[in-house]
Amino acid sequence: MHLTAGLGAEAYDRVYSDSQLIRRSAIYFRPHMRTVLIVTFVVVLISLAATATPLLIARGIDTLNGNRGLQLLLGLAALVTILGAMNWALNLVRVQLSAQAVGDVVLALREDAFRALMNHDLSFYDKYAAGRIVSRVTSDTQDFATVITLTVDLLSQIVLLLVITVAMLVINLQLALITLTVGPIVILVSIGFRRVARRAMQQSQRAQASLNATIHETVSGIAVAKNFRQEAALYSDFREINSLAYRVLLTRLVVFGSIHPIMHAISGLAIAVVIFAGGSLALNGTVSVGDWYLFVQSLSLFMMPVVTVAAFWGQFQQGLAASERVFALIDATPNVLQTAQQSVGTLRGQITFEQVMFRYTQPEERLIIPTAESVPQVEAVQANSAATTNGWVLSNFSLAIPAGQTLAIVGHTGAGKSSLIKLIMRFYEFQGGCIQIDGHDIRQLDLAEYRRQLGLVPQSPFLFSGSVFDNIRYGRPDASDAEVEIAARQLGDGSWVDSLPNGLQSDVGERGARLSFGQRQLVALVRVLIQNPAILLLDEATASIDPLTEAQIQAGLTAVLRGRTSIVIAHRLSTVRSADRIIVLRQGQIIEEGNHESLLARNGHYAELYTTYFRHQALNYRPWEETEDEKTEEVEAEMLPSEV
Amino acid sequence: MSAREFTVADEYHYDYRSPWRWVASHIRRYPLLPIFFLITTMAMAGAQSLSAVLVGRAFDTVIANLGGVAIASAAGLVAASYLAYAGFDIINTIIVRILSQRVERDARDEVYLSLLGKSQTFHGRQRTGDLMARVTNDVQQTSQLISPGFNFVFESVLSLLVPLIAITTFDRELLLVPVLFLAALAAALWRYNRQLRPVAGALRERFGVMNAGLTEAVAGIEVVKGFAQEPEEARRFSQHARAYRDSFVRQGRIEARSLPLLIYGIAIGLAFTHALILFLGGRVTVGQVITYMALLNNLRMPMRFLLNVFTIIQQSIASARRVLGLITTETDLDENASGVAKPIVGEINFSNVSFGYVAEDAAPADPSLVLRDISFCARPGQTIAIVGQTGAGKTSLTQLVTRTFDTLAGEVCIDGINVRDWSLDSLRSQIATIEQDIVLFSRSIAENIAFGARGTATRDQIEAAAKQAQAHDFIMSFADGYETIVGERGVTLSGGQRQRIAIARAFLADPRILIVDDSTSAIDSNTEDQIQRAMRRILTGRTTLLITHRLAQIMRADQILVLKQGMLVAQGSHDELMATSSLYRQIFVPDERAQVTLSMVPSFGND
Repeated sequence: MHLTAGLGAEAYDRVYSDSQLIRRSAIYFRPHMRTVLIVTFVVVLISLAATATPLLIARGIDTLNGNRGLQLLLGLAALVTILGAMNWALNLVRVQLSAQAVGDVVLALREDAFRALMNHDLSFYDKYAAGRIVSRVTSDTQDFATVITLTVDLLSQIVLLLVITVAMLVINLQLALITLTVGPIVILVSIGFRRVARRAMQQSQRAQASLNATIHETVSGIAVAKNFRQEAALYSDFREINSLAYRVLLTRLVVFGSIHPIMHAISGLAIAVVIFAGGSLALNGTVSVGDWYLFVQSLSLFMMPVVTVAAFWGQFQQGLAASERVFALIDATPNVLQTAQQSVGTLRGQITFEQVMFRYTQPEERLIIPTAESVPQVEAVQANSAATTNGWVLSNFSLAIPAGQTLAIVGHTGAGKSSLIKLIMRFYEFQGGCIQIDGHDIRQLDLAEYRRQLGLVPQSPFLFSGSVFDNIRYGRPDASDAEVEIAARQLGDGSWVDSLPNGLQSDVGERGARLSFGQRQLVALVRVLIQNPAILLLDEATASIDPLTEAQIQAGLTAVLRGRTSIVIAHRLSTVRSADRIIVLRQGQIIEEGNHESLLARNGHYAELYTTYFRHQALNYRPWEETEDEKTEEVEAEMLPSEV
Repeated sequence: MSAREFTVADEYHYDYRSPWRWVASHIRRYPLLPIFFLITTMAMAGAQSLSAVLVGRAFDTVIANLGGVAIASAAGLVAASYLAYAGFDIINTIIVRILSQRVERDARDEVYLSLLGKSQTFHGRQRTGDLMARVTNDVQQTSQLISPGFNFVFESVLSLLVPLIAITTFDRELLLVPVLFLAALAAALWRYNRQLRPVAGALRERFGVMNAGLTEAVAGIEVVKGFAQEPEEARRFSQHARAYRDSFVRQGRIEARSLPLLIYGIAIGLAFTHALILFLGGRVTVGQVITYMALLNNLRMPMRFLLNVFTIIQQSIASARRVLGLITTETDLDENASGVAKPIVGEINFSNVSFGYVAEDAAPADPSLVLRDISFCARPGQTIAIVGQTGAGKTSLTQLVTRTFDTLAGEVCIDGINVRDWSLDSLRSQIATIEQDIVLFSRSIAENIAFGARGTATRDQIEAAAKQAQAHDFIMSFADGYETIVGERGVTLSGGQRQRIAIARAFLADPRILIVDDSTSAIDSNTEDQIQRAMRRILTGRTTLLITHRLAQIMRADQILVLKQGMLVAQGSHDELMATSSLYRQIFVPDERAQVTLSMVPSFGND
């Protein structure tokens, strides 16, 4: 699964030309210009040294054949040794410097990408799966780095290729031409191979994915399988997929493993040709034995770069594509923009919506790049399923909330309840009208300062890994242990703290997984309270919480809501009852307003919502007693012979 | 392996004494493949050295002026030796990859089978992510021990040694430099690996830290923004990215300073000198000097392979150890096949039960105990509600009844017989559990319900169970009805629908004792109505342990157990507890007003 993840195109992707990409990458290298120059110089030197060694040995061999000058020979041998040592030293400089430059460039790129991420509003995160965003910042930058490293290698190979070619052409034109014909042959073979390899790769990725899915299902559903003793059925399914995967994966490995022998065979044939041609020329005396040796040696020197270049091209393209994905992420423009730098001061908490128009994404702006992978992006669509008129979630929406009021919002899914809260949080940009906080235009407020005075408790509270302490302190890192403790004990009778395995020091686990849902919600609540926010925004959880914790949350909330502007998306009967004011939303419109009793008495939409969502929370709820006769009817029906 | 819950007849037995032996026993399953592998590897090394020798001969042919035909045949021989090498290489590649893939396939099969055989005790403690990593990534990594691991080692070692044998064919003295080279190379490789290992480990670890931090920031973006903590997050990310960069540069430095390349460079120079001296002494021909240099040239590639192969082997053996650890984890409960097997009436009796994941001799007051000194009795057919905060021990208490765990002290009896004395099969087959997280498999709804049947269930039985569970109507609303595929690769069902499928399963199982962890809640009252009706039917006539958040259900239980931090702090009926337990009263006080309000409003019935 993970192999193919992150390859699909996203709506914010854009197409950059290769020159744009290279220019863009060059910006990151500019601070390391000196290093780049040194590395390039060293690479040229290494290539020269690499060519010089066979040249020297060839001279040596010629000398052997002719006069036998001892000093000359030993001189040559000493030079070969020195070149070997120099090659190592130059390589040391190259590897070390390029590691530094690449490390720094990747670091800068990652920091930029992360900063861009932080600037995006929530519409961005709704649209794009978290895993893919993350892989752009970590893996794609890594791939880009690999390409840079490879480019340096490639550069040295190309220089080597050029030097050898020139040397060969100078020494003997005929033999050089024969040797050079290997190049195109190798390139053609490589291209053909890549095509086969790609297909094998895709198939094996698919096989791997279905294998993983099968195992995952078993692992997560093992309790059921055991409870009902269905292990044998699962095992036979698994066996089938496992042996299919074996065949596909083996095919891929064999395909990939065959390239090396094929190249070896080609180079063997070429060497034989050069030996024959060179030998014939040597017999005529046109070529010296040493030069002939040089050509035979050069063939293997020559093969290496050509194979590398051919194999590299695919990786190079992948790397460019990776850099394209990173740059697209950096360049995507956020929707929520702050228009002025107005200081906020201490908020009183008066909120006014005037003729607000709001909807989530405009589908026509989405750019789909037609690639094989661009399957319809399901997650982008389902993120915002608000039932809308003409796509508007809120249309000409007006609402005034005086400071200090507790406002409960009720309505069906998609009525626009969460959107209200998200607009106040400035998580999304609205398209028309005006939102004012204490009489100031929300768009002009200093965003960070403003948000610090809001307290949001989302429906499914998110905790960061670390202790309960760390999480409560998240918004106010300077809070002392004592302050945290006091704030935590304020909720309910504080006994929820004792029920944590290790008190406030308890590790909450990844995303708070070690705490129960109710405990997470309590932590999220304290996290907000310790900031003493002027406005509290609470999206009540739909998931139920164990009755003891629930009781504590409710007792805590009553104290918290008093005297603070609070907007609560209500899912609990007790909340709607204790609110100062309830508004009933339908399709982004306020259709009823009042308190619990008056709204119930009106017997309108609120009463209907009550029957739909709150009725089962009442203590005298007993559905089974109403249906005793229905039950007997059904049982009787089953006893009759089937007529269907 | 001792206790297992599931086995197959034709199972192959591997050696579990160490990861090396385990992999070896996997390889031994296909004894011919390693033999062919060794033969072809030697043939490759031979062909490669032969090529070098033949190239040298060709030069001697020219120098001795033996004519065009001789040169052509010399060139032909060279081509043949290269082609032979390529041929052996392909066969060798196919053999070693078949072997590695078979081992991977078999190991995956083995570990999968062992997972099926493990008890729920084991599975309850595992994290899915960790299990998945072991069954998928680690199994795959294990196979890399064979290819490229062993493959490279054998090929490289042979490619380093065979040229030496070829050298002995013309002058033994020429062995001097290559032998010194190999000794120095071995020392340098050893040193390099020792230096690289901690840095490479740190690099991976830091990448993990950076990735995890980033994933968290993205997942919690709403909180980050809500608290205006973007600058702090950016600072933290930079810190992680910088730590990674530092390790990356350090690794680069170690790679740059590795000595094998230097040793090789010097060795070539010295070897050339040596060969020249011998030539001047008239002991070797020009062709032999050329052969010698070509043979030394062959040493370069295996040297490069060896630089990397040890890391691969270390990682693979670590993976093999993890996989093996998973396979050999002992399951602590045995099946007790000879135990009591008879129909259960349904009386459950806990007397002074303590339980925890601690040493056997822990005192009952030990704070790390999950349950402490619990005593209660459920008469046949009663519904016992268990109330308490998360971590109070509710689920553990029910798991002692199914013998998912055994008690540390005290005893749990069913119909007066200690659960340890029951046959596990008889015990579990008469107890059904409706879990909190209901798992559906990627199969049809009918098959998912049929999971409940001990034997095979007829369609009529399945539909009857679905009707009892109030699931029939929504099932029929799908186009494919009971054949609708659900789960990861099919239709996604809502929580309420899943719950009713689980209830249908339980109906089909028709247990005497029912354990219900009913902690999920329906969002709307209509779904809730349906679930509650189904729940009511399944509870009737069965002893039920019920963990629920629904106050109305708690109130109506025959008996309520209030747990706090592993202790039973109150038990009794609703009315008794309202009078005696302040903890219990807390639950209902905030809702008192609701009851009054609701009773004041007339006619709120649904239909």
